Amino acid sequence: MKANIKELTKGIFKENPTFIIMLGMCPTLAVTTQLVNAIGMGAGVLFVLLFSNIFISLLKNVIPNSVRIPCYVVVIASFVTIVQMVFHAYLPSIYEALGVYLPLIVVNCIILGRAEAFANKNTVIDSALDAIGMGIGFTLALSLISIIRESFGAGTITFFAIGSWDGIIKVPFFNKWPIRVMTLAAGALLLMGYLKAFFNWNSERKARKAEEVKA
Amino acid sequence: MKYVKTALILAAICAVAAVVLATLNMVTEPAIEKYEEQKVISALESVSNGMDIGEMKAVDDGYVTYMYPLSKNGKTSGYILGLSSIGYGGELGIIASFDTDGLVMNAILVSDSETPGVGKKAEAKGYMDKFIGTGSASNPVPTSKSMLSDVDAAAVSGATITFTGITKALSAGSAFVRSL
Repeated sequence: MKANIKELTKGIFKENPTFIIMLGMCPTLAVTTQLVNAIGMGAGVLFVLLFSNIFISLLKNVIPNSVRIPCYVVVIASFVTIVQMVFHAYLPSIYEALGVYLPLIVVNCIILGRAEAFANKNTVIDSALDAIGMGIGFTLALSLISIIRESFGAGTITFFAIGSWDGIIKVPFFNKWPIRVMTLAAGALLLMGYLKAFFNWNSERKARKAEEVKA
Repeated sequence: MKYVKTALILAAICAVAAVVLATLNMVTEPAIEKYEEQKVISALESVSNGMDIGEMKAVDDGYVTYMYPLSKNGKTSGYILGLSSIGYGGELGIIASFDTDGLVMNAILVSDSETPGVGKKAEAKGYMDKFIGTGSASNPVPTSKSMLSDVDAAAVSGATITFTGITKALSAGSAFVRSL
């Protein structure tokens, strides 16, 4: 049971797909201009990752090793298409909000990466827990980056609109004098560099502490 | 024999995926079609300014793809045009209404593949306000940021290609209505 829980929590901090494994960088840099995009993308990835990991784990003894990647791509693309069609037909507001990110989930490296590195070697339950952990870790990472970028770059934090509330929180000072580069590609790369440096420093600090305790 | 088995397994997975997706497509297609139709109808109503919408007529004139006449008390008072332009991420679908002098009455971006948070801001309420009332010789549709106020220029900053795509289409629509 403890080992199962570890599969769930590792994706959130220790093996965070964005800050530690550095997978799925393209959507990370592209969608983090607004918090609402980050949450939408994260939710979509979590759903597809969960089902693709479950199915790939179930089929791991059936799929021949030489064609495993094409098989994974078929499974992943099918789930993305299912999500896209169901959302378009029955949840059009979420479909519109996610826009181009829904089809882009097919090429998200996290999904193929987890299928290859985890789901094809582990049990269905462990694969599902790994997917949930990685999905939450990805969503949290995207949310952190987007909150910083949107606050500094546009002076707002944008959630989903609910009823009469437009979902926009205005950030004092930056709302009047935004640092526009933060919403552009250069700002995304700059921030990603600083956050990666922070997480590297934090990992090294923890490793040093563990060594000191051992000694 | 090994390769045949491998090929058959891959083909079987593809076939199952195709059957599942085809079935789901059959189930969701009517709901999707209904939603898309409804989207166009509400877009037309939102730009009609309360006027009566006539019959659609297909047009092949550069940016203009179709038109609906607008009438008030039985008299033609303007036109709704379907406009197609190119933005940063591909095609931009715009529905805009013009009075008989070619002045923009209302406009809405109905389809695009622009970057969320950047070009996609053009979908937001209020984005098209800067174009309303433009389209005459003395007050043309703004085609560059220098023709906008500081506030409006800041709003389109970072998404100039989207702005240019929209403004070119509206300008062409205005000219088209004036030529009628």
